[in-house]
Amino acid sequence: MSRVVARVSEIVPGTTRAVNVDGVDILLCNAGGAIYAIEDLCTHDGSPLDQGTLDGACVICPRHGATFDVRTGEALTLPAVLPVPTFAVTIEGDDVVLDL
Amino acid sequence: MILPAYPPVKPEKILQLRLHNLDYAAGRGYALCAMAPQVQPPTAPSGSEQEYQHGFHDPEHYVFKSGKGLTREIVERISSMKQEPEWMRDFRLNAYELFMSKPMPSWGDTALLSEIDFADLHYFVKSTDGPERNWDDVPDDIKRTFDRLGIPEAERKFLSGVSAQYESEVVYHSVREDLERAGVLFCDMDTAVKLHPEIIRKYLSTVIPPGDNKFAALNSAVWSGGSFVYVPKGVEVKMPLQAYFRINAENMGQFERTLIIADEGAKVHYIEGCTAPKFSTASLHSAVVELIALDGSSIRYTTIQNWYRNIFNLVTKRAIAKRNATVEWVDGNIGSRLTMKYPAIYLMGEGARGEILSMAFAGEGQHQDAGAKVIHAAPNTTSVVTNKSVVAHGGKTTYRGLVEIYPGAVGAKARVRCDALIMDDQSSSDTKPTMKIHEQRSTVEHEASVSKIGEEQLFYAMSRGLTEADATAMIVNGFFDFFIKELPMEYAVELNRLVKMEMEGSVG
Ligand code: FES
Repeated sequence: MSRVVARVSEIVPGTTRAVNVDGVDILLCNAGGAIYAIEDLCTHDGSPLDQGTLDGACVICPRHGATFDVRTGEALTLPAVLPVPTFAVTIEGDDVVLDL
Repeated sequence: MILPAYPPVKPEKILQLRLHNLDYAAGRGYALCAMAPQVQPPTAPSGSEQEYQHGFHDPEHYVFKSGKGLTREIVERISSMKQEPEWMRDFRLNAYELFMSKPMPSWGDTALLSEIDFADLHYFVKSTDGPERNWDDVPDDIKRTFDRLGIPEAERKFLSGVSAQYESEVVYHSVREDLERAGVLFCDMDTAVKLHPEIIRKYLSTVIPPGDNKFAALNSAVWSGGSFVYVPKGVEVKMPLQAYFRINAENMGQFERTLIIADEGAKVHYIEGCTAPKFSTASLHSAVVELIALDGSSIRYTTIQNWYRNIFNLVTKRAIAKRNATVEWVDGNIGSRLTMKYPAIYLMGEGARGEILSMAFAGEGQHQDAGAKVIHAAPNTTSVVTNKSVVAHGGKTTYRGLVEIYPGAVGAKARVRCDALIMDDQSSSDTKPTMKIHEQRSTVEHEASVSKIGEEQLFYAMSRGLTEADATAMIVNGFFDFFIKELPMEYAVELNRLVKMEMEGSVG
């Protein structure tokens, strides 16, 4: 199922935007012009990631500093061990479309 | 508190451990310098200043000492004085912001923690212009301090490498030539940032990110000194590498940063011993130690912490063990006012193994809040945690531990054992274990006991001619035996002696 969840123009490069789709918190990340979507929930201890920082293609959890690669979801540093789930994104015009 | 009894640890396990460590136990190649020179055990009651054998205090003589309190400018100044590359300066400044924004821990001994006055500390003291490889070049007052600790003599004869840290900088360093030839890198962290930036950038803060906790952030912002070790693939370092840390300046924070990497199939044992001279106002020690054991490698890290009793010792130590790797923390805590330290091992690859052996002693005015954390994140990983603590003269110990088994860590086995021995009615001990088990096909055992020293045991020992102090020390040493056996000889001797001093007149 595809769903338009945001406008590309609302998410400038280097920033993120949190959206809720059917009860799932999702974080849209604009890493250098490309938009990626991950679950907005740190796999270490459940902190939302939207208050964290986006550094290149990495999002850093505000709570204990775990770093995730937003392209793959991979945990790049401890204390996170498991990857964060990712969602496929397509861009149609100015629409950010999520495949759920 | 006495937790329900679980099946006891089999004695064979302990025997196995000892056999495993025979190489180390032989004392061959160990630094006689590792502990301070022998002095008469004082007879003053425990907790008094006289009893502290490492309590000499050299006059302060520094090349640079930062003003009190921490600002962005001080962090920038530290970085520029060290002539660091931009990436390290940015790392520090980012960590500074995190430190300022993070709250103090809301758990643990919050009353004691609230006594730390960050505005009243010095964050950087530079005692010479750089590391010295030649003992003759080390300034005299610094040399005198190390002479008292016995470092140079023993270094010449026994050490495979010494990093002697005086205040914030490593002033003396030597690496034996055969280690260098084998490609082992062993230097202070400041030097490593300059000489091996590619390794540092790849691994630094991947185990403990600056945002992990307030004190890790503080360390990341103002770190100075500490050791860097890299052991290349397949290289086995037979003799332990050692470092020696001291704090001298009043009101000084010490923030060393250590990073040890064992590449595939490599093996290394690193020893860090601490003593500090006495001084009267509170001082903060907040280290970060990261261990990375790649596939099939093995790292053992031994510490005896004996800070003077006005020091807050808030340390983050964490290791990562990849496939079939082994990490062992051997961790002794005797000194300091408040220690909060929970060495952790993340078992990330199949077949990885972790072991944490720790002992704590808390006397008058002390709180040893120590423990262990093991995270099983891969199948067939095993861990053993053994913690023993003794409290006397109104001291307090807390065991705070975590065992976590991630989904998919099939066949993981964890065993935790913690025992506390209470010497009198004024002292107390707490056990706070946490288990998070998300994989049913795993085994976790936990046993804990709290006991009081037995009058009968004492009476029996005294009827054989021992004084009360000797009898108590004997019982306590027996209690700590599991730990002492794991130490190189001279550490074991020193620890036995410290325990005896602590026990003088302790039975009430
Ligand atoms: S909750 Fe994200 S790192 Fe701990």
